[in-house]
Amino acid sequence: MRTRIAGGRVIDPAHGRDGIGDLWISDGRIIVAPPPGAVADETYDAAGKIVMAGAIDIHSHIAGWNVNTARLLLPEFHRAAAARPATTPLSNAGWSTFATGCLYAQMGFTTVVEPAVLPHYALHAHLELADIPIIDKATLAVLGNDDFLLGLLHAREGAAVIRDYVAWTLDATRSLGIKVVNAGGSIALKANVRQFSFDDVVPHYGMSSREIVKTLQRATHAAGVPHPLHVHCNNLGMAGNAETALATIAAAEGLPLHLAHLQFYGYGKEGPRGFSSAAAHLAEAVNGSNSVTVDVGQVMFGQTVTISLDTLRQFNARSQARPRKSVILEGEANGAGIVPYEYRANDFHNAVQWAVGLELFLLIDDPWRVFFTTDHPNGAPFTTYPEIFALLMDRDLRAQQIATLPPDAMAVTTLPSIAREYSLTDIAIMTRAAPARLLGLADRGHLGPGAVADVAVYRDERDRAKMFRAAALVFKDGELVVRDGAVTHYRWGRALNVRPERDRAIDQRMTRYYEGRFGLSDAFVKVPEHAVGGPQAFGLVQCAR
Amino acid sequence: MARAWIGGKPAALERALAEAAKLLAASRCPLITGLGTDVAGARAAIALAERIGAVVDHMNADVLLRDLAVLREAGMMVTTPNEARLRADTLLLVGPSLEKDAPELARWLGLDASRDDNAATARTIVRLCPGRATLLRGEMYLGRRANQLPSLLAALRARLAGRRVGKTGVPAKAIADLATLLKAARFGVAVWSARDLDPLAIEMLCGIVADLNAQTRFTGIPIAPGDNAVGVLQVCGWMTGFPMRTGFGRGYPEHDPWRFDGARMVAGREADCVLWISAFRTAAPPWGEGPPVIALTAGDAALGGPPAVQIEIGRPGVDHDSVEHSSPLGTLVAAAAARRSGTLSGADAIKRLAAALEAAQ
Repeated sequence: MRTRIAGGRVIDPAHGRDGIGDLWISDGRIIVAPPPGAVADETYDAAGKIVMAGAIDIHSHIAGWNVNTARLLLPEFHRAAAARPATTPLSNAGWSTFATGCLYAQMGFTTVVEPAVLPHYALHAHLELADIPIIDKATLAVLGNDDFLLGLLHAREGAAVIRDYVAWTLDATRSLGIKVVNAGGSIALKANVRQFSFDDVVPHYGMSSREIVKTLQRATHAAGVPHPLHVHCNNLGMAGNAETALATIAAAEGLPLHLAHLQFYGYGKEGPRGFSSAAAHLAEAVNGSNSVTVDVGQVMFGQTVTISLDTLRQFNARSQARPRKSVILEGEANGAGIVPYEYRANDFHNAVQWAVGLELFLLIDDPWRVFFTTDHPNGAPFTTYPEIFALLMDRDLRAQQIATLPPDAMAVTTLPSIAREYSLTDIAIMTRAAPARLLGLADRGHLGPGAVADVAVYRDERDRAKMFRAAALVFKDGELVVRDGAVTHYRWGRALNVRPERDRAIDQRMTRYYEGRFGLSDAFVKVPEHAVGGPQAFGLVQCAR
Repeated sequence: MARAWIGGKPAALERALAEAAKLLAASRCPLITGLGTDVAGARAAIALAERIGAVVDHMNADVLLRDLAVLREAGMMVTTPNEARLRADTLLLVGPSLEKDAPELARWLGLDASRDDNAATARTIVRLCPGRATLLRGEMYLGRRANQLPSLLAALRARLAGRRVGKTGVPAKAIADLATLLKAARFGVAVWSARDLDPLAIEMLCGIVADLNAQTRFTGIPIAPGDNAVGVLQVCGWMTGFPMRTGFGRGYPEHDPWRFDGARMVAGREADCVLWISAFRTAAPPWGEGPPVIALTAGDAALGGPPAVQIEIGRPGVDHDSVEHSSPLGTLVAAAAARRSGTLSGADAIKRLAAALEAAQ
């Protein structure tokens, strides 16, 4: 069957395309446009509309023990909606996996990465992902506070073993990449260390956070994993922590490195309150470091909940919980912390945070290296994305909002002076073309022949928030799943993963390790396809080598 | 070969499914409970509940929801038994029911074995109100009976805060010594079973843990009740946003620990048909008289009076592959069938029932 999306403005930065034209789909893939006069089996009129590839979110906490614990912690914040769409079960639950898939699809997102999966909790994460309809998913496995890796470093084992361990972890947990969260910080907290920086040394193990990050960066690269090491730096949320981020950026040393939610590290100590925006410094450093990519973690005002594997940060943030309750898990490796929080527009610190995120978006020159996230739900729920697109595309809208915020907060940022406005092409790069390249997903993020037919069609409205909130049409794998902002039916996507080559000696070593330390087979870390269900729960992505 | 019974008499599976579908179709307020099943069984049961507007409960929800009540009112610091075994230098074991709820607790916590090489000091183990539990060599205890726990915990928390302590039935000196001991912990873990404690006492214990973290490191382990209660809680959480005791009567999930308490709904004659699931063992519903029961159970053991319909289902991890919550690891784990058999899994039985219901309507 051939489908034609006719007469829309097709914006496909990966191919330098921006013009009125048709898009043809067959068997779930984009195809070369047939000669003029060819007849389609189905035609969708896109005249006056914007046609883009399906959007990709590289960092959004949507599944797993920590997300589910946040649900259980906060029943009062996600009452179910009353209306029940007959064809899409459980999509009206306030905060369910089903609602997550629907809300993403309605905005034209077709691939989302859950970035914080501890290997021992990987099966749980994949079970939840399997109950998220429509979209494709992926996980990042978190290393760097695990005793096995720190033991290898302590024993000064060679790079090859660590590379094999990274490959083993990716295979066992069926993940797309590796993340490190406050490297060594969670282990330090267990030894009652309350503050932990990039060059601080992990108790008992004797290596610095920097050494852990550098080791994992090299191992991920050496294993041929397309996505560079994804780093959650030390000192999240603290005044003056821009120094930590600058040191981490400098430590990239020309090798690929991704810094997550940079906004949360964009703080100086200037100004009368000793808290200021350091976004301009960070942007300058990112602009000058071609191997570094970042995502923003934009803050938006409202109630949310912070979900993080940075137990040290979350432990220290307990007293700031709004409402006053939190969960701290000190499990194997990182553990997790869930702390509810409300960002208030009249709060000095929160207003600075809001501005820092927008400054980073607007001061980092290359849209291929800055990624669109709110670190859902840590900065804001992903449902605020349309409002953020609007703010990036319209300086007058920003000025209106700045005028409502505490002037002393705006005075310690550069935001009021920034005139840049994002174009639709910039948005398409940042949310489509660049994420696909960053994650090594050659089959998406663009509209060239052979691409997976993930397509979002938007009405070209002046109100950009309205436009991006409810796509006119969304196709996933060529199948129409959203019409006029409403999900029409479910289909089930896959969890994308990589399986780099490894020396199988690591497998026996892991078996011995788990038997020795846990008295258990290492089987429990491995996610079996039958346990997750569905005929095609996973999709394998090729590694560089 | 699937075994099934209608009114206690052997019947073909298809007939039993059709009879069960008829009962559910006629029900105005169906209740799905027991719910002792694996992740796949819970997913199927909750999906069915949404379709028929049923209430979802679990046979151990009473105990589980005591911990959850504290978690969502006051928050909690937790770890896993495995992590406690590897790292804890101090264990505070609370209440007489720990070994009843977790017969392998000694192994999980390594009570009589060596621990993480990183910890330098010897391990301290203190029991609060252990009842008749057998103490291991080197273990200390304060109090005996579970009903002493609330006042003992309150006194301990006051003592930790440097306040004076009233009479508790335990010498004040012993409480003061315990406070000193806990403050000296490097990584302490309190372990309790909600079977022994009401939510206020659990909150007191969690408050002790939180207070100790002002100076040192301390955390907790709520020992979960059996029949995969925590696994079902997790599934319910991601599918509906809420724990069990969630109803779909209005077409969308609503959670209310009182209104959707299955035993109360039966006693109050609100529920008019019960789908009872017990896949790990043949647990019977905890009430006597009640509405018609469709029982999906492991084996064919009697359930008091014969249910309206009974269908034998496989035991998760024995007859078929399963995913369940592992208490020592604190996470969901896959278990391959130990003695794979053709017995229908709970999930498949519920899906067949849903299909029969569809065909009947």
